[in-house]
Amino acid sequence: MAVFGEREARILVLGLDNAGKTTILYRLQVGEVVSTIPTIGFNVETVTYKNIKFQVWDLGGQTSIRPYWRCYYPNTQAIIYVVDSSDTERIGTSAEEFHAIMDEEELRDALILVYANKQDLPGALDDAAVAEGLNLHSIKNRDWAIFKTSAIKGEGLFEGLDWLSNQLKTRKR
Amino acid sequence: MSGDGKYFATTKKGEIHELKEELRVLDKSRRKDAVKKVIAAMTVGKDVSPIFPDVVNCMQTDDLELKKLVYLYLINYAKSQPDLAIMAVNTFVKDSQDPNPLIRALAVRTMGCIRVDKITEYLCDPLQRCLKDDDPYVRKTAAVCVAKLYDINPELVEDRGFLDLLKDLLADSNPMVVANAVAALADIRETSSHNLLVLTNQALFKLLRALNECTEWGQVYILDAISKMQISEAKDAESIVERVVPRLQHANSAVVLSAVKVVLLQLPLISDEAAVKALIKKLGPPLVTLLSEEAEVQYVALRNINLIVQKHPEVLSHEIKVFFCKYNDPIYVKLEKLDIMIALANERNIDQVLLELKEYATEVDVDFVRKAVRAIGRCAVTLERAAERCINVLLELIKQKVNYVVQEAVVVIKDIFRRYPNRYESIIATLCDSLDSLDEPEARASMVWIIGEYAERIDNADELLESFLEAFPEENAAVQLQLVTAAVKLFLKNPQPRAQQMIQLVLTYATQETDNPDLRDRAYVYWRLLSSDPEAARAVVLAEKPVISQGTATMDPQLLSTLLGNLSTLSSVYHLPPSAFVTRAAHTPAPSLDNGALRERTTTDDGVAAAAGSSSSGPVSDGAPSSAAAAAQPPSSSSLIGDLLDLDISDPSPAAAAAPVEELVEVMSPQNGKGLGIKAGFSRENNAPVFLLQLANTTQQSLDGFMVQFNKNSHGVAPASQVVQVPPLGPGETAGASVPLTTNPALINPAANPATIQVAIRNNQQGVLYFTSPFKPDILAAPAASPVDDNFFGL
Repeated sequence: MAVFGEREARILVLGLDNAGKTTILYRLQVGEVVSTIPTIGFNVETVTYKNIKFQVWDLGGQTSIRPYWRCYYPNTQAIIYVVDSSDTERIGTSAEEFHAIMDEEELRDALILVYANKQDLPGALDDAAVAEGLNLHSIKNRDWAIFKTSAIKGEGLFEGLDWLSNQLKTRKR
Repeated sequence: MSGDGKYFATTKKGEIHELKEELRVLDKSRRKDAVKKVIAAMTVGKDVSPIFPDVVNCMQTDDLELKKLVYLYLINYAKSQPDLAIMAVNTFVKDSQDPNPLIRALAVRTMGCIRVDKITEYLCDPLQRCLKDDDPYVRKTAAVCVAKLYDINPELVEDRGFLDLLKDLLADSNPMVVANAVAALADIRETSSHNLLVLTNQALFKLLRALNECTEWGQVYILDAISKMQISEAKDAESIVERVVPRLQHANSAVVLSAVKVVLLQLPLISDEAAVKALIKKLGPPLVTLLSEEAEVQYVALRNINLIVQKHPEVLSHEIKVFFCKYNDPIYVKLEKLDIMIALANERNIDQVLLELKEYATEVDVDFVRKAVRAIGRCAVTLERAAERCINVLLELIKQKVNYVVQEAVVVIKDIFRRYPNRYESIIATLCDSLDSLDEPEARASMVWIIGEYAERIDNADELLESFLEAFPEENAAVQLQLVTAAVKLFLKNPQPRAQQMIQLVLTYATQETDNPDLRDRAYVYWRLLSSDPEAARAVVLAEKPVISQGTATMDPQLLSTLLGNLSTLSSVYHLPPSAFVTRAAHTPAPSLDNGALRERTTTDDGVAAAAGSSSSGPVSDGAPSSAAAAAQPPSSSSLIGDLLDLDISDPSPAAAAAPVEELVEVMSPQNGKGLGIKAGFSRENNAPVFLLQLANTTQQSLDGFMVQFNKNSHGVAPASQVVQVPPLGPGETAGASVPLTTNPALINPAANPATIQVAIRNNQQGVLYFTSPFKPDILAAPAASPVDDNFFGL
């Protein structure tokens, strides 16, 4: 419920294991890099940014957990899809998962924000290459954006949120 | 047609759907209400498992109340949704690191309750952290969690070194942690083969120190753990006793009984006689105090005291008065008190005791009266100098002509005659007066025995016997047997025509008309004896009978010491060793297995046996090795191989005898069996006795058409069907089978060795092979849950 004009949004952070989802979540929430272990399950935190209260669900990316992502799809306004840009070998797998999400009926109206994460690592693909790898340009009829990010350095994350909040505001009105 | 569809399209989606919707709202208080509704539905038995993911999603919250509700839900439904339960793992991990110790403990406790194999592995790291937590409440909870985890996955617990961490907690600074660690280790030990509570002196003293400070139930755990320890040094025993004796004054009866147990177990180690005497003196009053509690506690106390006084009557020898029955005691308390009175009766107090017993014998409760009369008889048998007084009391009771009192008295007087021959026969006349009132088999049998034994002193013995014989065919088997013997005795003592006629009649009936093999055989023996050599018959039938022994030592000493070691447990109330009524599935093969599982079990057994044989230090985690290894193993390594002793069929230990599960032993090697190796054993499946077979074909041909038959045996056991349900056995193959058993009185051969059964097995290729399989008759009956009565007077 919006109080004093504050909006709420439910956001899922998805992506393969070791993409940096949990680190991004806590970077957004507490502004620090916390040490993480593989998430067997989920984390949920509330992040308030630009007058929008984001309820951010960070779901574990391991193969064994991916089937249960679907339990979280209903009522989701946006997906943050995190890609490990340095993991060039698995970009194909990541793309498969990504397009599976795109095909979900329940997520038809969700905004798509892609983080090309781990830009601080040498050999990381840039945003264009990641967009290419995910075949982002094949997506029609929905809003998406891609940002170069480094959760460790804290770069690019809030730019992505800016885009998201703008989109949400325009959409709600 | 188009209009009818609406009846199927309902707008109402049901309660579950509504709950689901409510759980997804962003508003916290509405979500909490929804979870409360879910829990309410759960507690009244509705299945709310379909909304598992939605409930789990409410788990990460800073609202402790909500968290507890979700945890409660998880404990209930994680098992029905084992795959989805993995989504809760991360929250457990987080909660186990929460700054609030209550949440850490809650997480670790819930983790232990979830029992989903798939996620236990993920829970080890949080558990490990919590075992070393700063907060004692968290450590205590984690200790208990280790025991729970061990129940689910023992290998994991051992691999992760949790057992060592648990042992470290025995030296914890907080007594509550120590007590729970002890409890957890004791729990684990019951399912594992390791002896986990081998304690160093240092640890022992830490336990003793914690004893004073922890809660009453913690004290019980620690005392029980100490009672299970192997103490060998007199010095240790003394310091244990010194610390434990103050516990005897505790208000909690469980603490008192456990303390008594620990002290009793240390007594043999203490060499100072004065100290032992002083200790024994200290044990009495606390036990007496237990008898001032409510009747149920009294009963438990009395069952335990019953064991204690069998071993150490001196503990309560001056307190016999507290065991006198009050008029308003419940019957179960009265009966127990009687037993203890008998055990405590001695020459000093016998007059008092007799006065009491006489009083009891005039009460209204028949069971109690009977037992009181028997008690008088037992006192007479045990206390020689009081025998006369006891008999006088019995005679007084007989004169009152109360039917069941007379019958009971006749039974015990028979025993008194056997204990003190040729001393009190003058009372036979009095007994004969009440002959007509005897209508119970045991009393009649006793009376017939007395008539036969003392035929020469009873003028009209022949008349009396004749009156019994009139209804011979209708008599109970026990009476019939006695009548046959009595008739023979009468004839040998006084071979007049009437006796001769009588014996003809009896033996004719017993050999021709009866279908009781015992009776028939006995009659034949007498017949042959009398017809071939009457002198020999006289020597056999009228032989001097050995005086019966004193009746006090009613319990097997080994069983008694087992039970004393289990004082204050169910075992000491049942008077049965724990193995007789507790079945632990975890580390012993389950008794009920289908054929496939049986095959699997026997093959793993072989594997374990091989491992145990090649390196005796190899850890044996589960299963029990085959008997081949059992024979090869020196006894010193028995602890390593766990339940090994249970399969040693020559082992007479009561624990082994009581266990109905029998392991397969090799009854025929392939060398002796024309290439067919056979392992066999007896067990119970689905509450019925079965014969288990494992057949190994080492020949070059396929074997089929297996059939099995038993020789006549002492129990009349036979296969229900001769056909062995086993597929054709190819060369090199092994298969298991279980053959249902029945018992048939016609197949009883009383002369056969009761510990073995001779078996014939045949197949279409090899013909018949014979072997002998060890047998324990206890597989024929489910273990009795009722306390075993002493049956001394039933002899």
